[in-house]
Amino acid sequence: MFGFLKKVGDYTKEAVSAAQYLGQGLAVTFDHLKRRPITVQYPYEKLIPSERYRGRIHYEFDKCIACEVCVRVCPINLPVVDWVMNKATKKKELRNYSIDFGVCIFCGNCVEYCPTNCLSMTEEYELAAFDRHSLNYDNVALGRLPTSVTSDPAVFALRELAYLPKGVMEPHGVPANAPRAGRLPEQVLATLSQPSAPATEQTATSSTAPNPAVADQGAQS
Amino acid sequence: METTALVSSGLDLQASFVDALQGLGLSPGAARLLWLPLPMVTVLVAAVVGVLVNVWLERKISAAVQQRIGPEYAGPLGVLQPMADGLKLVFKEDIIPARADGLLFTLGPVLVLVPVILSWLVVPFGQNLLISNVGVGIFLWISLSSIQPIGLLMSGYSSNNKYSLLGGLRAAAQSISYEIPLALAVLAIVLMSNSLSTVDIVNQQNGAGILSWNIWRQPVGFVIFWICALAECERLPFDLPEAEEELVAGYQTEYSGMKFALFYLGSYINLVLSALLVSVLYLGGWGFPVPVEWLAGWLGQSVDAPVVQMITATTGIVMTVLKAYLLVFFAILLRWTVPRVRIDQLLDLGWKFLLPIALVNLLVTAALKLAFPMAFGG
Repeated sequence: MFGFLKKVGDYTKEAVSAAQYLGQGLAVTFDHLKRRPITVQYPYEKLIPSERYRGRIHYEFDKCIACEVCVRVCPINLPVVDWVMNKATKKKELRNYSIDFGVCIFCGNCVEYCPTNCLSMTEEYELAAFDRHSLNYDNVALGRLPTSVTSDPAVFALRELAYLPKGVMEPHGVPANAPRAGRLPEQVLATLSQPSAPATEQTATSSTAPNPAVADQGAQS
Repeated sequence: METTALVSSGLDLQASFVDALQGLGLSPGAARLLWLPLPMVTVLVAAVVGVLVNVWLERKISAAVQQRIGPEYAGPLGVLQPMADGLKLVFKEDIIPARADGLLFTLGPVLVLVPVILSWLVVPFGQNLLISNVGVGIFLWISLSSIQPIGLLMSGYSSNNKYSLLGGLRAAAQSISYEIPLALAVLAIVLMSNSLSTVDIVNQQNGAGILSWNIWRQPVGFVIFWICALAECERLPFDLPEAEEELVAGYQTEYSGMKFALFYLGSYINLVLSALLVSVLYLGGWGFPVPVEWLAGWLGQSVDAPVVQMITATTGIVMTVLKAYLLVFFAILLRWTVPRVRIDQLLDLGWKFLLPIALVNLLVTAALKLAFPMAFGG
């Protein structure tokens, strides 16, 4: 009898705690109802890609020396370098260059190893096509620069979270010249060189010390 | 019928309509015949519009919970999005898979939808604002809702697809195991109101406004009924029959176009219907939190005055719909709160938790009715 009552009691306790957890969960979802949407309304708004964004690869035909390093470092030997040896000048003559972005994985090895920096990453990521063969870009297509999100009048450019001013979570309505949170590498570098400067010329500390600080603040704000 | 005569009859559109037509020189039979299709069409239209509102709410609330915007470009705030969805489904090609049973495949969605729509017969929006005050009202709904699993099983089996078959089987198992606690919860209500008629059940709750609603006397029954109703509608957390991660879309896998639209319509009409019935059974139906009779008395108006009758009827409809949609909102919120249960957990919950609790609830209600006949409808 007692055992049965204990069972019933435990069961009730379990049911009540389950209901409590349900209530907690409902409180969370209900709280989320009043938060603002965080979505980017894509064709009308776009995020500004970060500096190191690895988008479609840009190629400068005139810089290329047809060394084929890009082909060797590519995981699947993707770039096609079409050159002929000019017997007279004993130099390679580049005729065509192409990368198939339907196959490329945007690892950036080619960009990394290109000895003449003729390859570079762009921020272009809209590579949708009706035919995958149209993604095989030749040197003309590779030489085109993408439309920047910030300069496109049809697009409302939004900053990514890490690029927003300190304490701001919402990219809408942030002025374009508002500085991002934290300091850029140059600014950090400026503060690092500061202690070494007074050590060399101790007599001028009183006059020079405030100046970098002022300049630093000016750069931040 | 007698009990309805005792309580103030309120707005009786049928009587007024028939009287008016008889005044024009029609025979009583003809006048009644002309009246007959009107409420049916009205309720059918109301049900479909209710579904459109429901779909829109579902998408908007889901979006808000997930901090999205949801449909926005079809009409203001995307209110026309459900229309666009429906229109798309109507114009889509109707496919019957090869080696599927064509007849059963077509019959399945019909068998799912028709009982749900028929159940609107007994949903009251006011004293006389329902298609038919059937004496066995709520029982009719329970028995109609047990036709649905046959349709689900039929469409699952005839699709000639393993996912459909599994989905259909799950749907049938789920419907059958949740119908019993549902019926027991309803039985406790029926015990208190001494009637199966939905109108009587609401009238019995409206003595003292919000205080006399059944939810205070039947809190456990309310929870059981709501859980079972969600399970019957195959809403999350009980959407196992169409669990997309496991079963593609369950019994709906092979359906497209108009037939899929029937399933879609059926599930949403069922949700609205369940919410309406919860509000009828537990939340005082069309009753205002303060009885309209009291308000009329305080304002020195007769309850039978035409204006008061109009206002009463309007508040009745508004209250019923409002309560139902609050419950729908709760169901949508629940959808994004609770994860889906496993099939064994589902059956465990149905048979080992809800059924015993519903039985105890029924017994306690019966005991309370004997002990306090005043409060529990002696």
